Amino acid sequence: MRYIRYNTPTRRSLPAAAFGRGVCNGLESEIDRLFNAAASGSQSPHSGSRFPVDVYQDKNNLYVRAELPGFGRDDINVEVVDGNLTLEATRKSDSEKAPLAAKFNRSVTLPDDVKTDGVTAAYVDGVLPVTLPKLEEVKPRKVSVAVG
Amino acid sequence: MNLIHSLIPSLNRNLVVNEGHHDKDLGPTVQPNYEIKETDEAFNLSVNLPGVTKQDLAITAEAESLRIVGKRSWNRPKDWTVSHRETSDAIYLLELEHDNRVKTDNINAKLSDGVLRLSLPKAEAIKPRRIEIS
Repeated sequence: MRYIRYNTPTRRSLPAAAFGRGVCNGLESEIDRLFNAAASGSQSPHSGSRFPVDVYQDKNNLYVRAELPGFGRDDINVEVVDGNLTLEATRKSDSEKAPLAAKFNRSVTLPDDVKTDGVTAAYVDGVLPVTLPKLEEVKPRKVSVAVG
Repeated sequence: MNLIHSLIPSLNRNLVVNEGHHDKDLGPTVQPNYEIKETDEAFNLSVNLPGVTKQDLAITAEAESLRIVGKRSWNRPKDWTVSHRETSDAIYLLELEHDNRVKTDNINAKLSDGVLRLSLPKAEAIKPRRIEIS
């Protein structure tokens, strides 16, 4: 058995002319391009199962805003179960072979001071804002006990 | 983490916000998700623009490129505090080059539920042509 030791040519082992700076620059920009493509909008609008969700609050309400472009109102399901707000959206495709094209699902754990009833949601321009009213602040009850 | 950043210089930069566009007034922009489907007659482009209304959308078609700028019309009320953010406030900007392959005077655009659907009719020169055999 022959043992061949092979050194991968590097910039140091080769003369500068053979492995010039231009090659590296080209590769670098190509890698940049690949990473940028992966990070931005090259994926199709109908792929993926996550969608961005924002959570805001003020004194009276907790607001959850989800970006869910391109759904019908009937395809969006908002539920509050066990202190979690679940947003679910399904998209049916045109072809009969695969009627369910996409299913999106997110769930947000709600803080304790949020009421589970009186939750309202709308769907405007592809954004789903959900308003969850907070419990009125429970004032500590002062009980005076007469010591007899 | 520093090692990863030194290996992949692109990660060190801000990936989402792109300020390399021509229009400096626009501020930070983000490229929206889009999809192009090609038929014999046209290119059908759909762009996800959640939170953009008709009034805040500008589509400019030039001889060789198409430019879509969409501003989010919703602003956070002042007394709302942020608990968690995943979206950005950056303006949507999509610039596509089509090299005269599209009839720019015949573009059809429709915006519904945060999705912009554009039908870009193909220029005659690139349409498939049936050649009769004499």
